[in-house]
Amino acid sequence: MALHLNLLHEEILQQRQRQRDPLKIGMMVIAGLGALMLLYYLWNAYKVLEIRNRFGQAQHDWLKVEPKVTAAQKRSAELNGIISTTKVLDGMIDSRFFWAPFLEKLSRCVALNAQLTSIDGTVQEDGRITVLIEGLAAGREPRAAAEELRQLLLEQLGQSYKEVKVEFKTLEDLDTIVKIGGSNQAMARFGINATFATEAAKPSPTPGARSKAREPKS
Amino acid sequence: MKAVKINLSKDQIKKVLLSSAGFIVLVYVYFSFFLGPLNKSRDTMLAQIDDLQGKVANSKNELTKTAKLEKQAETATSRFAALKALSPEGAPIAWFPPRIKTFFANQEIDKATARLETSSAYKETDLANWMRYNWIIELPQADFSTLGKAVAALENAEPLLSITRFTAKALPEDPQFQQVTMVASTAMVKR
Repeated sequence: MALHLNLLHEEILQQRQRQRDPLKIGMMVIAGLGALMLLYYLWNAYKVLEIRNRFGQAQHDWLKVEPKVTAAQKRSAELNGIISTTKVLDGMIDSRFFWAPFLEKLSRCVALNAQLTSIDGTVQEDGRITVLIEGLAAGREPRAAAEELRQLLLEQLGQSYKEVKVEFKTLEDLDTIVKIGGSNQAMARFGINATFATEAAKPSPTPGARSKAREPKS
Repeated sequence: MKAVKINLSKDQIKKVLLSSAGFIVLVYVYFSFFLGPLNKSRDTMLAQIDDLQGKVANSKNELTKTAKLEKQAETATSRFAALKALSPEGAPIAWFPPRIKTFFANQEIDKATARLETSSAYKETDLANWMRYNWIIELPQADFSTLGKAVAALENAEPLLSITRFTAKALPEDPQFQQVTMVASTAMVKR
């Protein structure tokens, strides 16, 4: 075996030590990682720039639409307001009590031997109507003439209104004699209370408890 | 498996520690000051884009809905305008009594008067811009049939007027005629 002498032993060892320097290797690793991270960062930054462009576009689109939407929302609220106000006003109009048809019916009930001296009618909060009618009736049987008027009124009002009640408040004979058609006739003074409800009258706010379940229709 | 034994001198250990510390600092700085804010801004922008796109999409629906509503509300709008037109400009006390006087004069009932009794706002929120006025309308002399026709005409001409009380008394000196008092409630636009 040939003898091999390494005279540069120390120099080679130093060179190897320089190559294996941990700081140098670490710095290289860090630099490599740094480069990778920088690349990743740049890639992300590029994507963010792209997103920023999209964001700008979306903002631009929204700014273009926003005034129209605001105006539309305002108009929509206004229209809804108009619709609901009109509905409430229409409800008020529809729930009115018309006095003219009532007066017409009343005039139909007054015979020649009767005379009304006063009418006092009120529309109640719940939509029911109360009317006090006062007058004079003449005839051989003046009370019967007044009763005839009451019954006629009940019949007439019953044709158009609900829950009609027509009752005498007062009915008294008078001493006065009146001449009708050439004959003397006795007189009576009457007061009639009429109460009724229109179709639009509100139902009672507190209905009584239901006694049993509703039966199905056969 | 072959175990690798690394013999490091003190100086080398120092350098390794220094490199590790540098690496940790680098990672911290990278994530905290570079990638973190970048990702945060990206996420914020994406959320804002979603929000804006949602708004734009909704706005299209909103515009369509409003256009539909506009068509549906045509009748209500014209009716509302007609009801509003029943209240002229100015204080009702200035124009309502003359209007009633003229109205009854046209119905051959003279000397009609209208006095304002009360006025109040409506409780309904839908009628926030409307006021209720209660008037006392007096007709000193009217015959029954003329009165009936006049009341019918009034109720038809003034849809927002509602007679809440009606009193008629025969005149003692001339029972053919009645003295009439009506309490009427009207809805009028606030001016």
